[in-house]
Amino acid sequence: MKEGFIRKFHSKAFGRSLWVFHTNVGACNGCDIEVLDVLTPFFDVERFGIKLVGSPRHADVLLVTGPVTRPMVEPLKRLYEAVPSPKLVVAIGACAVGGCVWFDTYNVIGGVDKVIPVDIYIPGCPPKPEAIIYGVALALGLVPKKVGPAIESHEIPMEVEDILKELTPSRPVALPVNPDGKNDNGKQDGEGA
Amino acid sequence: MVQQLTTDTILGRLSESIPVIASQSPTPHRLYIEVPKDRVKEACRILFEDLQGRYTITVGTDRRPVNGKFEVLHFFSFDRDNIRMAVRVFLDPDDLTLESITPVIPGAGWAEREIQDLVGIRVIGHPDPRPLALPDGFPEGLYPLRKDYPYNYQPPLDEGKTFPFKEPPPDATVVTVGPFFPVLEEPSQWRLFVDGEIVVGCDYRGFYNHRAIEKLGDSVLTYNQIVFLAERICGICGCVHSTSYCQAVEEAAGIEVPLRARVIRSLILELERVHSHLLWLGLACHIVGFDYGFMQSWRIREPVMWLAEYLTGSRKHFSINLVGGVRRDIVPDQFDRILSVADDVDRQTNELVKAIQDDTALIARLKGVGIFTPEEVRLSGAVGPTARGSGVAIDARRDHPYAAYDLLQFEVVTHDGCDTLARTLVRIGEIFESLKMIRQCVNLLKDIPVGDLLGEIPEEIPPLKDGMHAVEAPRGEVFHYVLTGYENRPYRWRVRAPSYQNIQSVPMMFKEGTYLADVPITLGSVDPCFSCTERMEVVDQGRSQSYTLEEKDLLRLSRSKYRALKATERK
Repeated sequence: MKEGFIRKFHSKAFGRSLWVFHTNVGACNGCDIEVLDVLTPFFDVERFGIKLVGSPRHADVLLVTGPVTRPMVEPLKRLYEAVPSPKLVVAIGACAVGGCVWFDTYNVIGGVDKVIPVDIYIPGCPPKPEAIIYGVALALGLVPKKVGPAIESHEIPMEVEDILKELTPSRPVALPVNPDGKNDNGKQDGEGA
Repeated sequence: MVQQLTTDTILGRLSESIPVIASQSPTPHRLYIEVPKDRVKEACRILFEDLQGRYTITVGTDRRPVNGKFEVLHFFSFDRDNIRMAVRVFLDPDDLTLESITPVIPGAGWAEREIQDLVGIRVIGHPDPRPLALPDGFPEGLYPLRKDYPYNYQPPLDEGKTFPFKEPPPDATVVTVGPFFPVLEEPSQWRLFVDGEIVVGCDYRGFYNHRAIEKLGDSVLTYNQIVFLAERICGICGCVHSTSYCQAVEEAAGIEVPLRARVIRSLILELERVHSHLLWLGLACHIVGFDYGFMQSWRIREPVMWLAEYLTGSRKHFSINLVGGVRRDIVPDQFDRILSVADDVDRQTNELVKAIQDDTALIARLKGVGIFTPEEVRLSGAVGPTARGSGVAIDARRDHPYAAYDLLQFEVVTHDGCDTLARTLVRIGEIFESLKMIRQCVNLLKDIPVGDLLGEIPEEIPPLKDGMHAVEAPRGEVFHYVLTGYENRPYRWRVRAPSYQNIQSVPMMFKEGTYLADVPITLGSVDPCFSCTERMEVVDQGRSQSYTLEEKDLLRLSRSKYRALKATERK
């Protein structure tokens, strides 16, 4: 049930072509040119419908690189708010995942998840283009997850299941499925359709 | 015939008008002189104007734990004569002021603003003393590069403070570009003042990527750890930083690098230049809307990345250097693949360049755009293809040989066009020169017997020795200064990336009558790539209206110009 529910949510929300917006919040460009590299002929992610867009308002996915320098905190929050829900955030590279070598210096926050919620972490310094494609495919549910939470926290309560049964199959609704009130995307506000 | 300069003649010329307190010349190519505080500007003027030295960088150091004083060093290069020198001045902590040299040398503007921010030395007479490096609202009186500042202390920021941008000229419209540049380079913010479609001025706010690298280097990490930190300064040209840092430490500590290691360094550096220039070529094509060029040049580039991974183990941060040598050998089994990749790239780049040069619309977009005269190159201290595109033949590989460049035959590619087209052609020419050098390096490696890759390293690197070295990066000269210290780490480490000088020169390229549609390619031509501007806010001062343009609009503007040219060409 839970697998089906999440997959249904994904296929509804991110089913067709994913539009991604790419931003650098203090990265060294290593990750940035690898992100650009996956668009070029050898990797060509446009065949999956993934397209880099120029405005956060058009995007489904936010790709973030860099350890978040202090002047970039506010712009990054504003950028996150500008992306319409439901949205995914992908932290690319060791800096975005946890701050890399400068995680605690005087001008670095150290990791994107300290500022905005992150769904997918792609480690590596920089991650190879293959790793970036794999990470996005994971986000789409195209490949199985290698690890998951050990505790069964995704169980949907009986009452919720009842509600779900009443809903028409064409209109699934993202309900809070985690004990802390977040759905599987880590967002409070993911509205299914 | 201009007189050949030596360290002695420079010292003699300075001593004529300035009381030199101390001087030191560890090698015939290095000179350090100490001058009194009130004569610094005069000394720099003589070096810059009379002796035609090239300004490199200014470094401020907190030397209080050592001798109770602050130190400022102004670096100059004499490229024709292979001399690098520093003007040193000691400042009393009770009177931390210094006369600005920016009125004489405009290229020193940022460096002086930076010592003001980070070391707390007040620069008197600076034409633009606004903050530069630190986030807005950073408390006054706290200076991160002082020795008593812990590297990980994050003071609360004053939320109310914003950056004091320049006032636009009357009747001009302000176009804000940035701070997000989502596709390539660091976030930075440009405010363009436009009158209709004509750019009449601009203002810059950058340093959004300030990650406290220098502070980490002189307070946390050790000599050999910094090599890998230095590589992460830039993801495109990281190897030049690590090489330059290693060479500066080697110079300070007197370490001799084995020949085989030097050849390997050259080979990897040239490989990096090939991939970086192909990357830039693609992006330049992308900016002006010639996406065929973008895709093709990145297709040609990809085997270079695979080769780099094959040789060093990593696509980007090669991690090949160590202080004293390199970490990996290149073995005979690998030669064939290096040569075949070089041949493929050579042939395919030739085809691409033909396609680019035959495209008259593309040439029209580049020709005459972003004019940058040789005199402006000298004033701004611009380096690399930005300078060589204006006919200024400076190249650290030839002028200040390092690694194995004294054994390689190559030409310094220059062009007299002074415009974006010239800078493009210089970079294209350098791809072929680099491929030539890669082949020569392979031939050298065939002849050099396999042996040590690390030089003799002393048990302890002596403290308080100066070392400076530069490497010619794809974007220009990368300069590293190291003052050795205690506890197995530098006392002060200063990095000057080429874009530091080149970005300062961009306002000079916005000549009278520059069109807004030409701004992306002009900025892109110095290679702090600017291909996808996130968002522009246009404020029409006259009608006090405000609306927002997005990146696609700016690119559309840039591209529709290309299409219009293409259409006229067909007629």
